[in-house]
Amino acid sequence: MNLNIKSEKAQTYDAIVVGSGMTGGMAAKELTERGLKVLMLERGYEVKHVEDYKTAMKDPWEFEHRGKITNVAAEEHYASMYFSAKEGTQYLYTNDKENPYIQKRPFNWIRAYHTGGKSLLWGKQSYRWNREDFLANAKQGLGVEWPIGYDDLVPWYNHVEKFVGVSGQAEGLDVLPDGQFLPPMAMTAPEQHLKKSVMQKLNRTITIGRVAHLTKPQPWHTALGRASCQFRNRCSRGCPFGAYFSSLAATIPAARQTNRLTVVHNAIVKEILLDSQGQKAKGVRVIDQNTMEVREFYAKVIFLNAGTIGSTSILMNSKSSRFPTGLGNDSDQLGRNLMDHHLSVGARADIEGFENDYYFGARPNALYIPRFRNWGNDKRGYLRGFGYQGGASRADWARGGTETGFGADFKAKMTQPGPWKINLSGFGEVLPDPNNRFYLSDTQTDKWGLPVVVFDADFGENERAMRKDIMNDGAEMLEAAGFKNVVPYDNAVAHMGLGIHEMGTARMGKDPKTSVLNKFNQVHACKNVFVTDGSAMTSASNVNPSITYMALTARAAKYAVDQLKARSL
Amino acid sequence: MNRREAVARVAWLMGGTLSTPTLMAMSQWGQTADKQSSGLSKADSLLDDSQREIVARVSDIIIPRTDTPGAIDAGVPAFMDVMLRDCYKKPAQDAFVAGVRNLESKNFLALKPDQQTEILKQVEASATPSATSPSFWQIVKEVTLLGYFTSEAGIKASFDYQPIPGRFEVIKIKPGQKDFMYGNQV
Ligand SMILES: Cc1cc2nc3c(=O)[nH]c(=O)nc-3n(C[C@H](O)[C@H](O)[C@H](O)COP(=O)(O)OP(=O)(O)OC[C@H]3O[C@@H](n4cnc5c(N)ncnc54)[C@H](O)[C@@H]3O)c2cc1C
Ligand code: SF4
Repeated sequence: MNLNIKSEKAQTYDAIVVGSGMTGGMAAKELTERGLKVLMLERGYEVKHVEDYKTAMKDPWEFEHRGKITNVAAEEHYASMYFSAKEGTQYLYTNDKENPYIQKRPFNWIRAYHTGGKSLLWGKQSYRWNREDFLANAKQGLGVEWPIGYDDLVPWYNHVEKFVGVSGQAEGLDVLPDGQFLPPMAMTAPEQHLKKSVMQKLNRTITIGRVAHLTKPQPWHTALGRASCQFRNRCSRGCPFGAYFSSLAATIPAARQTNRLTVVHNAIVKEILLDSQGQKAKGVRVIDQNTMEVREFYAKVIFLNAGTIGSTSILMNSKSSRFPTGLGNDSDQLGRNLMDHHLSVGARADIEGFENDYYFGARPNALYIPRFRNWGNDKRGYLRGFGYQGGASRADWARGGTETGFGADFKAKMTQPGPWKINLSGFGEVLPDPNNRFYLSDTQTDKWGLPVVVFDADFGENERAMRKDIMNDGAEMLEAAGFKNVVPYDNAVAHMGLGIHEMGTARMGKDPKTSVLNKFNQVHACKNVFVTDGSAMTSASNVNPSITYMALTARAAKYAVDQLKARSL
Repeated sequence: MNRREAVARVAWLMGGTLSTPTLMAMSQWGQTADKQSSGLSKADSLLDDSQREIVARVSDIIIPRTDTPGAIDAGVPAFMDVMLRDCYKKPAQDAFVAGVRNLESKNFLALKPDQQTEILKQVEASATPSATSPSFWQIVKEVTLLGYFTSEAGIKASFDYQPIPGRFEVIKIKPGQKDFMYGNQV
């Protein structure tokens, strides 16, 4: 008896943060910096910043398959093989075979189960939502109304952007609000030409991508050991310079500096434990992924940051007499309204001329074209909008694979910079739809005995209608610049999950009858549980989401600490 | 559109420089991965010694030694074996072996260099790009380029290799400028 009390005390913290990825890192930083003793639980293995980036400094010839994936790797990592996983990066992608899920309708669930989560792999594109993004649901009677607006997030965008370090160009646009920017990266000559032509002929802005790379580190960045970007674009092998933002390079070190952070790895959080009244959370139950040992940890407040599907699954798994279908599921909205961004649609072209124009360095960034449809006076037959990411670069030796010829001249030609090519790829908003959902299987479990996730979601008519504009408008812009062989494309099988921006399955809202979380990301019916990853999103906007997740997280953390101090949690 | 094309397109979109045969081969897992693996063990090679010699010769005609090393100097033949075994599925492997047998039947190794080049020109001309499975020519050329232009010898001889550029700058090309290489393709 005594022993138990002692160990219960030893396992008690002020706060538990579940997950060490993009949002878990931010939660841990904010909570520890505000004085809380925090336990971070991470289901995956430990990755140590710099020393565990085992492929980061390798030269191409040091890879047995020179970067290509093998048949075996493709079988094990089928979801992520669609793009980013290569020989040098696959060690940071989760093995789907060992971590199965069911696709009732096609869904690719791309995961990174280790310290840092997907913050080690992301594309770093960081755009604020605009004012209208928060109003659209209410105006259009879709989904539910957001319980917060742009102004609620402005101080938190400022706070987070400053810490993260976002490089970009201020443009003064309502559709794409400016933020706290480090110096922007340069545009290549054909990109500058495109920008000018599209402004002149179509009155649309093209800007350089806003990315979480340190182009000019500030003292608070260097204090964490982060350095300036070296333009190697080997980012997804891990950055030994800490030049792009990840929880490993930035938020976790900041949290550690407070001496109030404890991190436990290999700890799969299974469920949230309620107190004897069944109204408040008292801790979590965890399975060790290697030893299967079950342990419990306790805290006054719990932050779920296990990634959208991960966090919502934990809520679903937390069944009790008060919450028979999952913690906070009074509204039956848990797992519903699954959103993503739709992509794999746009236009590409060849560029003639600019033979003498070139660039030095591998820019880990692209152009950005902010939304222009259904904006201002523009009205379309569908709702919401899309933006583009893309850019122009010169083809390298790999072009030889599709060019005719071989021999000495051919070899010499391949050592010269090739012709310019350009691609504009659209990122479209997906509407909230309660029938787009995931749930937990009643019959199938994984090797830890946890129910397997079942995805059942697809794009709808609105998304499909939008794709036509994405293709045509992309082609129109490339034509405006006089580029050649313009090819609009739409990959008709592009499906949910490929955007890797899954969100919405425990949405925020004003009314507990129609939403899971309130305006501070608290579970309506269990106030000491906060969910601040993509689960919380009430709609999707069309811009990349992570900077917004982090702003929401920092805001919720401040609120949680204030409430704890006021003894109202 | 099927899953294979989806892979190709998405890879392209994401700025991938993979060319068609690789993408096709890569994506065959989409159809066959769940059913079977290639069935080759590590020690196996698809080819016998003289067939391997043919492939080596072909790769060295594609990228010959000039004032810089050629495909054989850069170790392409051994790389070809590894790639065929580990990264290509059965239909592609079969197409490859058939292509080698075809050269074998023409007594390729015994021919004069000019004749060999002539034959390869014919092989290239008749290698219609297939939407379903890469041809012998697509594979041999693609893997030769990959093996050569990512080898230490190939990179250092062919390009201005800059593993840590340190900056991104828009510049003008100088006469005879070699392509920059950053080692970021893997
Ligand atoms: C290739 C790629 C490109 C991307 N590009 C961009 C981009 O340009 N811009 C952008 O905004 N976003 C981008 N994203 C998306 C971005 O990475 C995610 O939005 C972001 O990482 C989500 O943060 P998160 O904290 O919710 O989840 P994650 O970062 O995935 O972290 C979740 C963590 O929780 C852990 N976990 C899961 N379940 C449990 C459990 N039960 N118990 C304990 N721990 C658990 C996981 O192991 C993981 O470490 C990209 C993603 C990828 C993969
Ligand atoms: S490009 Fe910049 S962020 Fe990416 S790996 Fe290199 S130094 Fe790091």
